[in-house]
Amino acid sequence: MDELEAIKVTFFQECEELLADLEGGLLAMQDGNDDGDTVNAVFRAVHSIKGGAGAFGLEPLVRFAHVFETLLDALRSNEIPGTADLTAVLLRASDVLADHVSAARGLGMVDMDASAAMAAELKAWTDPSAAAVAAAPVEDAPEFEGFTPIVISGDDGMDDDDLGFDFQPMTISLDAQAADVAVLDNVWTVSIRPKSDLYRKANETGLLLRELARLGPIQATLDDSALPTLEFLDAEAAYVTWSVRLETEQGEEAIREVFEFVDGDCELEITRGEAPVADVLASLMEVALPEPAAPVEAPIAVAPVAEVAPPAPVAVSAPVPATPPVAANAPAAAPAAKPAQIEVPGPGQSVIRVDPERIDRLIDLVGELVINQAMLAQRVGEYGIAPSSNLAMGLDELEQLTREIQDSVMAIRAQPVKSVFQRMPRLVREVANMTGKQARLVMDGENTEVDKTVIERLADPITHMLRNAIDHGLESPEERKAAGKNPEGVVRLAALHRSGRIVIEVQDDGRGINRERVLSIAVKKGLISPDLTLTDEEIDNLIFLPGFSTADKISDVSGRGVGMDVVKRSVQALGGRISIASRPGLGSTFTLSLPLTLAVLDGMVVDVAGETLVIPLACIVESLRPKAEEIRPLGPTGSVLAVRDSFVPLIDVGLTLNYRSKSPPPTEGVVLLVEGEDGSRAALVADAIHGQRQVVIKSLEQNYQQVEGVAAATILGDGRVALILDVDAVINLRRRGPPSPSDPTLIAAE
Amino acid sequence: MTEPHSNSSAETRELISFRVGEQEYCVDIMAVREIRGWSPATTLPQSPAYMRGVINLRGAVLPIMDLACRIGMPTTEPSVRSVFIVVQAGDRTVGLLVDAVSDILSITDDLCQPTPDIACENVRHFVRNIISLEGRMISEISLDRLLPEREALAA
Repeated sequence: MDELEAIKVTFFQECEELLADLEGGLLAMQDGNDDGDTVNAVFRAVHSIKGGAGAFGLEPLVRFAHVFETLLDALRSNEIPGTADLTAVLLRASDVLADHVSAARGLGMVDMDASAAMAAELKAWTDPSAAAVAAAPVEDAPEFEGFTPIVISGDDGMDDDDLGFDFQPMTISLDAQAADVAVLDNVWTVSIRPKSDLYRKANETGLLLRELARLGPIQATLDDSALPTLEFLDAEAAYVTWSVRLETEQGEEAIREVFEFVDGDCELEITRGEAPVADVLASLMEVALPEPAAPVEAPIAVAPVAEVAPPAPVAVSAPVPATPPVAANAPAAAPAAKPAQIEVPGPGQSVIRVDPERIDRLIDLVGELVINQAMLAQRVGEYGIAPSSNLAMGLDELEQLTREIQDSVMAIRAQPVKSVFQRMPRLVREVANMTGKQARLVMDGENTEVDKTVIERLADPITHMLRNAIDHGLESPEERKAAGKNPEGVVRLAALHRSGRIVIEVQDDGRGINRERVLSIAVKKGLISPDLTLTDEEIDNLIFLPGFSTADKISDVSGRGVGMDVVKRSVQALGGRISIASRPGLGSTFTLSLPLTLAVLDGMVVDVAGETLVIPLACIVESLRPKAEEIRPLGPTGSVLAVRDSFVPLIDVGLTLNYRSKSPPPTEGVVLLVEGEDGSRAALVADAIHGQRQVVIKSLEQNYQQVEGVAAATILGDGRVALILDVDAVINLRRRGPPSPSDPTLIAAE
Repeated sequence: MTEPHSNSSAETRELISFRVGEQEYCVDIMAVREIRGWSPATTLPQSPAYMRGVINLRGAVLPIMDLACRIGMPTTEPSVRSVFIVVQAGDRTVGLLVDAVSDILSITDDLCQPTPDIACENVRHFVRNIISLEGRMISEISLDRLLPEREALAA
């Protein structure tokens, strides 16, 4: 019960948001912004409240919301014009709706007369001719359409708060046309006993019942006599049987058709027969209907039916008296009415909705804690306290705890990549259709977890790589057959953790990269010079060059002006790398590697001109101490470093960032061989390396602005801010030459 | 501290005054988050001379601005008595390096005078108005103009 209460609390929280949206939307409409989006948003708000309220059996709320929704739907589909008068009515209706929500929450009461009057007014707008008979049953007919699938609640006013969660037997009526009950003679009894497979295939008895209701008025009774007590309950098993009394002019075939999709997944019995309660119900109807706004009437009206009981076996075998069906169409029936809910929330599945900002704040605070703890340890170390002392041991424990807290907090934001992966099968189908290829998607490692910040940005590159793999990678079925391959190509999408990063692989078994063509296109487009000799790997990676597109004609799928270069850039902006490996005739593999989180970064801490800098580890190829003979001067000021057979420009970081005006001999420092986004290499000269560290990324822009050559900042163990180097910017700064002395804000370099 | 609305019928504002060189300046107390003693800042490359660098303020990276230098006076040499005032300027938080904090002033608008015309461009840009109080001249800083526009300098 508590769990349900918790869900209910969430529902009411949502209601508050929805009511605010509703009101905001209506106010916008009042100001003349009655565009489709606003009306839709307003409609959705009411619809969502109704859906949720239905799930909790908040009958009066559902009723009112339904009338409200019907009018909004008409407005949405332009059946009635939006006018200032209408908006005013809608605003008032929203207030009544808010009252209903509060009442359902147990805060305050609804003026039922005012509510009924409002409902009548709303109905009058929907259909002026129906105004006089606003409470007539026919008005409720469309109610089936708007119901959420999990709820089999029609217009019945059942009066039992605990119903549905105590596994009491229950009867649910979807009867909207009860007035007609007595007249119809074509009555069927349909017995549906779902097997667990039915649910496993994501089918839903609620939907079936709704389909049945399309054939004619139905009255469904649930037999849960087979339902074991909770401790013996298998959450995945099916225990219940539905017995449906259906009145329809259509034959058995039509009824069977409803169950076409669940054929074999449920035991179905269709018999022609009359249910004995019909007449009783019909007579009850007449009692209940003239008193629409009297909530007291409902329980009284219910009582006699309870004794008659529905024809279902449940009435006999159940330990508790069956709750009877009351097909009352009265707009305001028993306020505490509660229809049965088919889906019982699974135990232990409680999920808390938390504002992401709170988690971010927590992560910030833990970052602080880590820094503080490091400072504390440093200070204690300065006092020369023995490592075996209680204080030092306590500090060690503190350190361990802090680490654990940090890991746990980061884990809160970690999510499996499944949420991104599950969108891909559809994409593959669509792209394959569009390109006339046969493709099968194989996915691996969907449960690989990665920080939320990263997950949100995975979808685009993956989408692109998949499209590319199918469009450019896979051959047409004919070509594949000719090449002796299965006409259906296989695209494999995999996620895995590798050395503290997440790796996404997109592999196809297509033709591989046509290196000759890639080369000729690159030359033709002037991306590379024709006399350049490139290795196979280098040719493969040409496809990442800006302005490169191999498709002969621009298809719908690829070549929307967004090429692999964009993918590469967006990946690199996240601190990731992308590479391609290809074997002619056998296919290509794109490998995308990203940091597990964008909140922390692996970096090399270095000293430059007395400042501490962090260089992202992702950029560093190797670090070395240069020997004098490896450094060759080039031109008046420049020099290059000989690394094996290639010459890499030497860049003094201190000089480039204006920390100093004269660089010391590179042999006295350390050289970090880095690779920029465009694959260009440079040798960064630093004074000393402090080691590798994971640092928490802090934004400079939040309180200041972007600084050229600096990607972000971080806070080191001693509490001081260290800047994280933007390697590409540093390479580019150097290429552009020293800053011009005319810029007064900069100290002239060199 | 006096209650803002108790002593005068005119609207009373509270300001924090501080010394920059030999001059007195002030900012609205509502914009002041805290006042901290000087601690060495991490130098920012490619930045104007008035940007002293950034420090760690409880996990946030806080830029420190030399107010004297920003207004066009010689740069402040931080001493043990130097403090920085953490102020909110628009959506950004920034530390202003000043020589010393003097006191909290409670003033009414009739004590404010417009910045005299003769002042140089820098002063007119950064000084909102001048307050004359007990023979002192205190200039109120226009905080929103202190930080450069983000776009303007972002390369």
